[in-house]
Amino acid sequence: MFIILTPVSDGVGVLIQCEPAIKSIIVHLDSVNNDIIIEDLDEQTLVVKENMVQLLKQKLEDRLKETYRPEEPLADSD
Amino acid sequence: MPPKRKAVGATQAGVAKAGRTSALSTPGPATPRSLESSFQSDGDDDLDDDDVDETIKRKEEVIAREADEFVNTWAVDSTRFQSREQGNGSHRDGATQFFGSGKRDFSYLNLKPDHDQKPLWIDPEKGTIILEKFSPDADRVTDFLVTIAEPKSRPHFLHEYQLTAHSLYAGVSIGLQSKDIIDTLDRFLKTPLPESIRLFIESCTKSYGKVKLVLNNNKYFVESSDADLLQKLLRDEVIGKWRVQGSGDITTSYAPTMGGLVIPGTKDAAGVNQTDLNKNKKGAEDGAAAATGTNEADLYAAINEEDDEDDKDAVHAFEIPETAVEIVQRRCLDLGFPILEEYDFRNDSNNADLEIDLRPNTQIRPYQEQSLSKMFGNGRAKSGIIVLPCGAGKTLVGITAACTIKKGVIVLCTSSMSVVQWRQEFLKWSNINPDDIAVFTAESKNKFSGNTGIIVTTYSMVTNNRERSHDSKKMMDFLKSREWGLMLLDEVHVVPADVFRRVISSIKSHSKLGLTATLLREDDKISHLNFLIGPKLYEANWMELSEKGHIAKVQCAEVWCPMPTEFYDEYLRANSRMKRTLYAMNPRKFQACQYLINYHEARGDKIIVFSDELYSLKQYALKLNKVFIYGGTGQAERMQVLENFQHNPQVNTLFLSKIGDTSLDLPEATCLIQISSHFGSRRQEAQRLGRILRAKRRNDVGFNAFFYSLVSKDTQEMYYSSKRQAFLVDQGYAFKVITQLANIENTPDLAFATPQERRELLQRTLVDNEKGTEDDVETDDLFGKVGRGRGGAKGRAAAVRRMAGTLGELSGGQDMAYIEQNKAANRGLKKKGAAKAEQSAFFKKLQREKERSRALARQG
Repeated sequence: MFIILTPVSDGVGVLIQCEPAIKSIIVHLDSVNNDIIIEDLDEQTLVVKENMVQLLKQKLEDRLKETYRPEEPLADSD
Repeated sequence: MPPKRKAVGATQAGVAKAGRTSALSTPGPATPRSLESSFQSDGDDDLDDDDVDETIKRKEEVIAREADEFVNTWAVDSTRFQSREQGNGSHRDGATQFFGSGKRDFSYLNLKPDHDQKPLWIDPEKGTIILEKFSPDADRVTDFLVTIAEPKSRPHFLHEYQLTAHSLYAGVSIGLQSKDIIDTLDRFLKTPLPESIRLFIESCTKSYGKVKLVLNNNKYFVESSDADLLQKLLRDEVIGKWRVQGSGDITTSYAPTMGGLVIPGTKDAAGVNQTDLNKNKKGAEDGAAAATGTNEADLYAAINEEDDEDDKDAVHAFEIPETAVEIVQRRCLDLGFPILEEYDFRNDSNNADLEIDLRPNTQIRPYQEQSLSKMFGNGRAKSGIIVLPCGAGKTLVGITAACTIKKGVIVLCTSSMSVVQWRQEFLKWSNINPDDIAVFTAESKNKFSGNTGIIVTTYSMVTNNRERSHDSKKMMDFLKSREWGLMLLDEVHVVPADVFRRVISSIKSHSKLGLTATLLREDDKISHLNFLIGPKLYEANWMELSEKGHIAKVQCAEVWCPMPTEFYDEYLRANSRMKRTLYAMNPRKFQACQYLINYHEARGDKIIVFSDELYSLKQYALKLNKVFIYGGTGQAERMQVLENFQHNPQVNTLFLSKIGDTSLDLPEATCLIQISSHFGSRRQEAQRLGRILRAKRRNDVGFNAFFYSLVSKDTQEMYYSSKRQAFLVDQGYAFKVITQLANIENTPDLAFATPQERRELLQRTLVDNEKGTEDDVETDDLFGKVGRGRGGAKGRAAAVRRMAGTLGELSGGQDMAYIEQNKAANRGLKKKGAAKAEQSAFFKKLQREKERSRALARQG
């Protein structure tokens, strides 16, 4: 998984280039308060608010951990 | 007098051990204490096996919980074997913290000068032994390790073994002395043998075989040649209580229970025992049963029975109720006197001999022989579990064991179909009279004709505790009233521990043999089987078997399929149920599946595709126009589909739900694709792999079977997948990861190639699954319903619904016409078959005539 962060010239936003899956997660995170994404460009690129980048990184990390861990205990009792 | 000397040694060992444990740590007084308290509260209840009522259920729960606790305390790393002063503290350095925060820094174990020649490492705390398979000495030490330790992981270069109490007993029982074990280990280790391990080995091996559990005249006896030792056991608060039934008398005092009832080992020893051990002088006890009557419990216990063993020494014993067998066993192990369960079948004259022998042309493979030699190590039958991969001939091992013991045998399997298979195998491999082997299922309840024989039945038949029909009740009473020489337990891993408890406590057998391919449970209840059945006697090395051609060589691969964005968006939003459906319905996965099917069909492989998700199973099969079987497929249709898969060159791919995981024998299958699976179940993965291990073509030069696991990227499936593979990786299989299938875009008729189609698929998947009408519960196996009792009844009740509606609606006049778009391939098979059969000669003639007249008309 790769993520490239590029500050956009006015300093307000950051351009993010990443895998489609990561972008989906970011969009999903944004859908709660709509306070992260400035512009959704295409499947792999979007612009987010500069002041949210740290928070986003944090949330993304949590989310990825979650993805690789099951939500329910391993049931194998049959 | 050798037995006397032994006796002294035993008591000393016991004392020394008790002293050591209490001095070093607190090994687990919690276990006995809680045992006592919980069982006292149960009070005296009448142990009637037939109706398992609330109290017994409660008791079972308690036993299960106790068993959990107990199993944990009995391990090498339990503090009892670890001395505190030896160890880390003194040898800390800068690197220590990187090894398990300092807990796994064993640098204080000095390497021997010639350590690079030695093959073994050892973990002084856990008793884990690591074998360098590439060392020149590795082959010599492997056999030894298999004898005294349990194999845990056997990949190519490094093998991992675990020393356990049970594995050491197994080693001793075939004649190894504790000195031999310690010396041999010391010789091959790179470091001197740690003191903790030496203590562990000694304590495990010294007391081995002192106490025996004997089944005599349908009652269990704890037996020992050492009267003092028995006294000691009876004085123990846990065991003493179980000497007689109920727990009431424990509250009074220890005195009356002490001494207890002693059964003379030989005829002339009877008098000796009476004076020797009936210290409490309860007049009731030394007489015959008729004299008692004062105390129900004593009556139960006071049955003098002669032991069938023929040795000169007096053998002392006391009786325990069958419900307490497991508790007493555990307690004895805790006290350091593991109970030995051996059956001296050659000297058993009470039970009739069975006429059974292997057919002269039957050949046993070397590993089968090896596993049986562990069972019959010293001329007696030990109880235990034999682990062989699927398709490696477990049934034959069971049959050979039955032929060795030659007594009454009861076989328990998981489904009525395997009951039939077992009976057939018995007839095929042995010369048993067909009348002597009977089947006990819902349909047939025969008894054998002679005075002994073989009964094949299912776990659910025996453990079903609801109301039975008159016939099966009679049959159960018959099963319970007899003593069996051998109990064969097929597929031991699938049956929950409490079912075993019920089976074992209601049917009495001298020895038990469990058979399985995957001794694994995700709930880690496997260690309970050590107490319920016996230790693991033998575990085959999968890699070795496949190298020798007994099972097929398999290439394993995990194919990563990225999720298209729209699916992934939906996945992030969905609940966990829908998530599973979505990652199974991932169109890229679908394409990969299609690609692999095309590729392998072109190579001439027969392919089985497994899917746990019923919805995706159907969608895949319909879209790709392949045959499929799931829980709802009728019996006749299943048979037809299976036959076609085996013999019809047009039908090369079969979609199976999880009903096909076990006990499905399709030697034609050479390739396996898994599109969805049961979370992180290692067992399912191994069982599924087992479907292709017996491939018919396995001995062709350069033949490989293929096992693909399709996984949706960035989803939980990735996590589960890595968990699932753990068992196979331990067996030495390597999974290749495929991230890109070459030329997949060029597949003709590639499904869901356009975004439009993908969106439609997504919409359909969401809508179809929202309704929640898909009943995803499957309780039966491939060959009909098992567990008629619980699961089946529930399913059937839900099938009937009552709802309001108009007649027009029912007739279909309400809205639309009927078009069938996605026709199941299964139906095609049926119609083709039916059409051919139905056209009789008369109609063919009629048709010919019609065509001829048409042709004439055209010409004319």
